[in-house]
Amino acid sequence: MVRFQDVSLRYGAGPEILDRVSLDLAPGSFHFVIGASGAGKSSLLKMMYLANRPTSGRISLFGRDVSSLSRHDAALLRRRIGVVFQDFRLLDHLSTLDNVALPLKVSGQRSDEIRKDVVELLTWVGLADHLDAKPATLSGGQQQRVAIARAVVSRPSLLLADEPTGNVDNRIAERLLYLFEELNKRGTTIVVATHNEALISRFNYPVIRLVRGEVRLEHAETLIRTSDMPARAPVDHGTRDTSLPVEGNPESAG
Amino acid sequence: MLLRKSVVPLNSDATGRFLPWLVAVMVYLAALALVSAMAMSKIVTRWDHGLSGQITVQLPVSESDLTEAEITNRREEVLTLLQQSPGVLSANHIGREETAALLEPWLGQTSGLSELPLPDLIAVEIDQLDPPSTASLTARLIEIVPGATIDDHQRWLGNLLNLARSIEIVAALVVLLVGLSAVIMVVFVTRMGLAVHYQIVELLHLIGAQDGYIAREFQTHSLKLGFFGGLVGVALAALTIFGITRLLGQADTALLPALSLRPLEWVILGALPFASALVAMVTARLTVLRTLSRIP
Repeated sequence: MVRFQDVSLRYGAGPEILDRVSLDLAPGSFHFVIGASGAGKSSLLKMMYLANRPTSGRISLFGRDVSSLSRHDAALLRRRIGVVFQDFRLLDHLSTLDNVALPLKVSGQRSDEIRKDVVELLTWVGLADHLDAKPATLSGGQQQRVAIARAVVSRPSLLLADEPTGNVDNRIAERLLYLFEELNKRGTTIVVATHNEALISRFNYPVIRLVRGEVRLEHAETLIRTSDMPARAPVDHGTRDTSLPVEGNPESAG
Repeated sequence: MLLRKSVVPLNSDATGRFLPWLVAVMVYLAALALVSAMAMSKIVTRWDHGLSGQITVQLPVSESDLTEAEITNRREEVLTLLQQSPGVLSANHIGREETAALLEPWLGQTSGLSELPLPDLIAVEIDQLDPPSTASLTARLIEIVPGATIDDHQRWLGNLLNLARSIEIVAALVVLLVGLSAVIMVVFVTRMGLAVHYQIVELLHLIGAQDGYIAREFQTHSLKLGFFGGLVGVALAALTIFGITRLLGQADTALLPALSLRPLEWVILGALPFASALVAMVTARLTVLRTLSRIP
């Protein structure tokens, strides 16, 4: 699904951000990317969603060498990748509905089909009552859900999330990861970049640790747990709450 | 819903607000330049058609004591010579009253014209395919009437043609410069738009929009602005032409050309807004595609 072979990256004449990184993420896998601030987590993800090209090395996505892609094919490939940006990148002049519909619109889907899919998805993330709301009128958590809905609306094969838990408390962050876990169970390959080691230690997924531009593959269970984040008890997947809490709705917020 | 709305909110930009008015000025200048060229071309064509195939023979009226009968005799002799010359289709004497009428636009209606020593003029129609030699004809005329001259109008017409061509070249240059300026303005405005909305453009790019999709956002906007500006410019130009036509009509003089446009010329003027819209659209598209090509 995602293969990096000796990939290095530097911006201009600056230092090496990533140094000869090699990794191979299998289809349907779930990985966390962790590392200190500035370790290169975002840069790694940017190369996965083709925002950056490596200085050297080779990247393959969905079995295709990205360096040989035409602009047209690169655009088609990007449609198979959903991205939850750290700063959400919602368009202020568009409604919730239109923001989420954007990937479908650029891929040329019909308007009536788009509306049906988007309303369904926004209902799933608890924003059915905010279809016409502009991002500025939404809370941070709601904006995040809009960003997630936009990332998954086109049913991507690969979902990349850059610090999705950065702006929410641990309870919402944990539910967010459960949501990603659900998507992963449906076949989506997930890569989540975060600095919240305590949170990801509750999930049993491999971890890509970035240290000074190099990667080390670890297992989540080897991470140190913090006292305020107890290890996750075995969970019955059938009853797990993957809905995201809606502000002002205590029941939903659970 | 989204399909009715532009993803890139260019309409709310201050950067594009002045573009239609600048396009209007450009189209106005281009329209006037085109009309000037078209009017000049028509005048020259009229003169050219009027004067080609014709020469004028001037027989000087000297202060000597030639009687009216002698003058008539030598004129008849010249007419006979001309009519028998190969390449001459016809030769007709222009009467004194007719000659005086030719001078009226310059000198006005005055009884003093009859006192002037006007030359005897003979209008000669020649075969354009096989014209007579002006030099040999002049030599034979001089034998009959010393001082006789032939005016084939070529020097005068040549100067006018040069002037007309110069005006046409200047008009073409003005249109070219105006077009170039419009292109530069659209490039500038499009780049400003791209800079202002870079986040949106980048987002569209990252979620899989083709370059053409993003370019359409900008080119459609430019098309509208270019068309609106073109309409305003042509409307102003039409008003100006109408005003000048009225002024020329009131002047009532043969020295000034009539400024009337044929239907085809009005169609050309009417096409200017479409041309400005097309230029704006294509320029915006190419600018966006060029900028996007720098994004990996």
